Amino acid sequence: MPAAPPTADSDLLLVRRARGGDESAFADLYQRHVGRVYAVCLRLVRERGRAEELTQDAFVRCWERLDRYRGESAFGTWLYRLAVNVVFEAGRKDRRRETRVAIEAEPERREVPLDAAPAGGGLRLDLEQAIATLPEGARQVFVLFDIEGYAHDEIAAMMGIAVGTSKAQLFRARRLLRERLDS
Amino acid sequence: MSAHDDAGLRDLLERVRELPRAIEPERDLWPGIRARIGKRETGAGRRWPWIVPLTAAALLLLALGYRAWSETGTWGVERIAGRPDVGGAHLGGTGRFHVGDWLTTDDSSRARIAVGDIGEVDVQPGSRLRLVAAKSSEHRLALDHGSIAASVDAPPRLFFVDTHAGTAIDLGCAYTLTMDSAGNGLLRVTAGYVEFHWQGRRAIVPLGASVRTRPGRGPGIPVASDAPPALAAALDSFAFAGGGAGAARRALAAARPEDAVSIWHLLGRVAPGERGAVYDRLAHLFPPPRGVTRAGAVQLDSIQLQAYWNVIRRAAWRREILKAIGKRVP
Repeated sequence: MPAAPPTADSDLLLVRRARGGDESAFADLYQRHVGRVYAVCLRLVRERGRAEELTQDAFVRCWERLDRYRGESAFGTWLYRLAVNVVFEAGRKDRRRETRVAIEAEPERREVPLDAAPAGGGLRLDLEQAIATLPEGARQVFVLFDIEGYAHDEIAAMMGIAVGTSKAQLFRARRLLRERLDS
Repeated sequence: MSAHDDAGLRDLLERVRELPRAIEPERDLWPGIRARIGKRETGAGRRWPWIVPLTAAALLLLALGYRAWSETGTWGVERIAGRPDVGGAHLGGTGRFHVGDWLTTDDSSRARIAVGDIGEVDVQPGSRLRLVAAKSSEHRLALDHGSIAASVDAPPRLFFVDTHAGTAIDLGCAYTLTMDSAGNGLLRVTAGYVEFHWQGRRAIVPLGASVRTRPGRGPGIPVASDAPPALAAALDSFAFAGGGAGAARRALAAARPEDAVSIWHLLGRVAPGERGAVYDRLAHLFPPPRGVTRAGAVQLDSIQLQAYWNVIRRAAWRREILKAIGKRVP
């Protein structure tokens, strides 16, 4: 039978056991949530290999910070937020490294290969591909707001941008997507 | 905003809502996570935070040095028991295993090979194998006969073991592989996934499952470790003894929901006219995820089959983990 969907209660029990060092409990948490964590990483960074690394980083950080999870929100909510932070921290490190060695290319002008999009089928694939071709900032705001359901103030805090910039990027992303999907 | 714009936005957001919230990674990421968390305590028990970056830096330097060394086409090898023979000389303690060398163990010898910097292989008594490639992009052994236990933590498709019946391809895993002198083999996976490939025929073997291989036929169909004997016999007959549709029907009759891994593989192996029956049984035992249709599966639509496989392998993985937890908890 397919795995049962995760529930807050059962997640909490697993978190308690994992806090005590029970790797099997943490493995179960991984299995329940890896799809969501990988999806948000993949949509934010577009590259499969990088998304895999970040997914692993997110779970390792989750393990290290389990004591900070107080149960005030669902474990999944806490974990996905942590994963998003891991992605943006890694992005900031990458950019700092790039600026030390070369003049940074304008991120929003980079060409994006269509095959960088997550696999899917039919219309869904078209939309995933279109999202993958968005400029970086617009894509990230779109993923966080329209797919993941974060509010603009949360996105602004995570990305280190102004709330107005988040709104402008969302407007831009939606406009570009409609243009690309209609063409 | 115009009415046209409103409609366009509604349409876009409707399509966004249909996007999958979860996407399964193509490889099992758990072995890499497990290796990293195994070296760390949870936050509650962590002390001496400065030791972590210091240790990481030291390990990085060691790894870089080792990688440069390992690119020379040799791996380390150590004696575990008896007197293994490496490159025609007895191995006393530790030594180097060069590309082209054979490693042979007699009935009382065992050896451990360091697979570059990505894992290790334990060579059991009565084995003979050769080092084919020792590059960072390709780690390849050829097992003539005997038994090995491999444990690799690396991105998929970096570690290969050639046999007389095909090639075992690491997808981030641990496994045992046994080959007899006639070239018949048995691959049993103890962590992650392994692909076994022979001339376009492939089997993906998950944790807790095994697959038999035969020279000239390649891999059979993976079976769970606790599969009913009738199922295993029917699948062997189908794969290696020309059992055909009758053997496939016996396999379907014997299968349990836990055997979805086997029936999913069978779907791609039976004749086109028999796929419908196999799909119906599979869907009964293990309902397909949204987006997988009977027509698509019968036509072997690769995207649909991959989506079906993703949920099957997750459930199989979860079952094995729960079994492991059950063994630990009295």
